Amino acid sequence: MAAVRGAGIRTMLLVMFAGCGGGLQGLGGATPPLVGFSIAVNGDVGAVRPAGDTGALTLRVALVWGDQWLTEPFCILPPESDAAAAVIQAGCRDPFGFVPLRVAANATLTEGVPTTVELLDLPAADVLVGDVTSRVAYGTFVLYDDRDGSGTLDLSQPHRTPSGGGGPPQQDVADSADIIYGASFVTMTAPDQRAAYREGAFDAASAFYPRSGCGAPLPGFSVLSAGGFSAAAGLASTVTGQLPAEDPATCAEAAPASATIGIDVQAPGPVQEVACTERTSDSTIRYRQPPADPPDLTGRTSACAHLPAYDAMDQSSLIQFVVSGRASDRCQGLTHYTLRGCRENVACAVPDWDFTANPPSWWPCPS
Amino acid sequence: MRRSALVLLAVVGMLRGGPARAAEGSLLAVPLPDDSWPVTSRGRLTADLGLALGAPTALGTGLSTGAAAGVSFGGGLLALGARASWSTATESSIAWTVSQSDIRLRAGAALQHASGRGRMALRLMLGPTLVHESRTRNQGQRAGLTGSELEASAWAARPAADLEAVIALHVAGPWLMMLSGGPSLSLASGTAHAGWLGQLGVGWQP
Repeated sequence: MAAVRGAGIRTMLLVMFAGCGGGLQGLGGATPPLVGFSIAVNGDVGAVRPAGDTGALTLRVALVWGDQWLTEPFCILPPESDAAAAVIQAGCRDPFGFVPLRVAANATLTEGVPTTVELLDLPAADVLVGDVTSRVAYGTFVLYDDRDGSGTLDLSQPHRTPSGGGGPPQQDVADSADIIYGASFVTMTAPDQRAAYREGAFDAASAFYPRSGCGAPLPGFSVLSAGGFSAAAGLASTVTGQLPAEDPATCAEAAPASATIGIDVQAPGPVQEVACTERTSDSTIRYRQPPADPPDLTGRTSACAHLPAYDAMDQSSLIQFVVSGRASDRCQGLTHYTLRGCRENVACAVPDWDFTANPPSWWPCPS
Repeated sequence: MRRSALVLLAVVGMLRGGPARAAEGSLLAVPLPDDSWPVTSRGRLTADLGLALGAPTALGTGLSTGAAAGVSFGGGLLALGARASWSTATESSIAWTVSQSDIRLRAGAALQHASGRGRMALRLMLGPTLVHESRTRNQGQRAGLTGSELEASAWAARPAADLEAVIALHVAGPWLMMLSGGPSLSLASGTAHAGWLGQLGVGWQP
């Protein structure tokens, strides 16, 4: 009994004057990820590298959250001429393609070895679509060669031709040097695997990268699969106000821990679009004042075309001059010029510019 | 209003030599009535209870707030005593929200000097500080984390020493107003961590 009491006293003294317990971490220590996504790359990147690209590969996989984007009407309406069709071909991105908003995480990749993309933060509110009781974010996993060594996927934007008049200065940012070799979710018209984050209920009628006919995303993070729908079905559904249906047999919803996302290696080309952001996401078009000097149309495709009816309003006779990006640009995009209009509304009653009576000398369209 | 004036006169009188001289009116023309704030403390035991503030023992930032209590025994220059306090602090980083509760258990001695209604002391206390930490991964619940991935807790004991200046002022009967504060030192893995603590409370000396 005395021995037990002595041991107790010794322990107490040890605690009082020597301390014990080293498990306190405070605000420090490693930050565990909120979720990890397993990635497997299928294919040989070396076999699809661009000619002349012989530098060392620095392969990474990025998780990119998607933007809520609508294509502009000019790109999906029937072209009124062969020239307009050529501009659509050269300057319009896939209307059902994935449009990035923000790069959330990156992971290094060794070819042939699966990797894990870990996410330390939830998607921010501007990435989530819906209200606070029902919102969702979708993301794609992009395989890329980090050519600029920044450690992250750098996104690009289309390059516009300059406009005349005042207004804020146009900022033209150089294309990213990173080369895209594939993504798990490139377009809704092809099979995809995507990351999802859901809060609250799920609105099955949501047209945000819809998967109609598939199950709802799991609460929190999940990995979703869908077989895709045809572009014709997508356009027809848009006309009827319905969502294009997916084949339920191609659908899957899984917890991240039990799913592996596969990325098929592709030659750089159309897949580059998954790293192209858009300046506006609501399908509105910024019609621009033509500059006094002719824009440099080298490598660009251009056409004269009528305005879409709901843009033209009572300016149905107004003709736009549409210019595509250069073939060498990373991202496809269009520049629209009109002889009359305002910065925010081409059919404004009091125009900011009106050259209909005296168009610039280079103006190629009927005035 | 009259009451406030009397309190002011009592404090000034104490500072100039105590209630006796103030009452004598040797320096002040207004004598205090005999029934105003009489002090009845005669014992050598003092107990106190109050609000405690301090730097968290192991958190590194923030303000730890809580309660403290203590007893001391001694009527002369030296007093012996024991104290205990509990305080807590919560701070956040991008990844974590951390709450740490400090339980300070102390024993020690004080050198004290009484002057009129007041008593000043320099108190050195030694003993362990028990720290309970609770960490929650920010955004973890929304992300679906559970268990130890979402939150974790731990205990630790650290030897510590506090050096405090103490001011006790007899207010009325056995009751005192007590104010103390000073630096604190704790040891963790052989490394000393400096901090501070303070207390504002009520004392009782029968």
